[in-house]
Amino acid sequence: MAYKYKLEILTLIAIGIFCGLFLYTSSTMSDAEFTGSDNVGSGLIAKLSGTPLENFQPIIPQWEPPSGEIESCLFALQAAFGGILVGGIFGFWIGQKKKA
Amino acid sequence: MHIMEGFLPLQWCIVWWIIAVPCLILGMYQLKKVLATDREALPLLGVTGGFIFILSSLKLPSVTGSCSHPTGTGLSAISFGPWITALVCAIVLLFQSLFLAHGGLSVLGANIVSMGIVGPLVGYTIYRLLRDTSVNIFITVFLVTALADIFTYVTTSLELALAYPAETGGFVSSFSLFMGIFAITQLPLAIVEGIVLALVFKYIVALKPDILIRLKIFSEEQINKARSDS
Repeated sequence: MAYKYKLEILTLIAIGIFCGLFLYTSSTMSDAEFTGSDNVGSGLIAKLSGTPLENFQPIIPQWEPPSGEIESCLFALQAAFGGILVGGIFGFWIGQKKKA
Repeated sequence: MHIMEGFLPLQWCIVWWIIAVPCLILGMYQLKKVLATDREALPLLGVTGGFIFILSSLKLPSVTGSCSHPTGTGLSAISFGPWITALVCAIVLLFQSLFLAHGGLSVLGANIVSMGIVGPLVGYTIYRLLRDTSVNIFITVFLVTALADIFTYVTTSLELALAYPAETGGFVSSFSLFMGIFAITQLPLAIVEGIVLALVFKYIVALKPDILIRLKIFSEEQINKARSDS
């Protein structure tokens, strides 16, 4: 039985280790802010080019979510859309299999 | 892996757009062909594309103390090849640049090249190399997914290093600095992503083996072997 679920068990272990690593780094690294690596990258660009960060202006004007809440709302919508697709189709396949 | 709007000089934006557009056109052409030959391919496209939507919205913390997101392109690259995958990624990246200020319209070309083209292309190459060998198909899916993820970030580093070579050490030293930010952060995420998508593939194999065989993604023997193993 356990042999049948080895991939599931492996996934759980991997996610467990991943969470453990996060807890370890977040409690031991004092300068860990967990900002996006995109922003860290932009900081390095500013450093390498010797141009202050605020001098980088969008080439094509861009709408920005007015707050972190609205941003997370839109990200959640993106994930929800993917979730509906995946869940719906897996359900469709299960139905097809039962009928056959 | 998003390069932010305004952070790439105009000439580089144009270079990456010129590389991205033909790939997207090829993707549209291939997608039309696949869907015309087999309507059953559409649900598979929905599942593999759905995972790109889900995984690229998750920003996960990593060992470097910053956050990054997986790409989820591995399954799509195996099932439909890199060009159709590029098309799905372009949709996700367009949504993120219009509504989330992640990336932007001028840098969209560069972001499509890294997430939609080079990553999946590397994954697809690995898949083609391993497909006709005796390697377990779940290990193939793991390797393809993890490497597609890593190489997306290697490409982002490359794009930025080309645009911003360091004063001392030039391109090489810039590249290693950007790799330090992007690729190292990505390593644990890529491994977890590879395992998770291998598990998802196990469920696709269990529910819909016939479509995988019909689209010649894996051979009948490989699928039957995987079904009896797991």
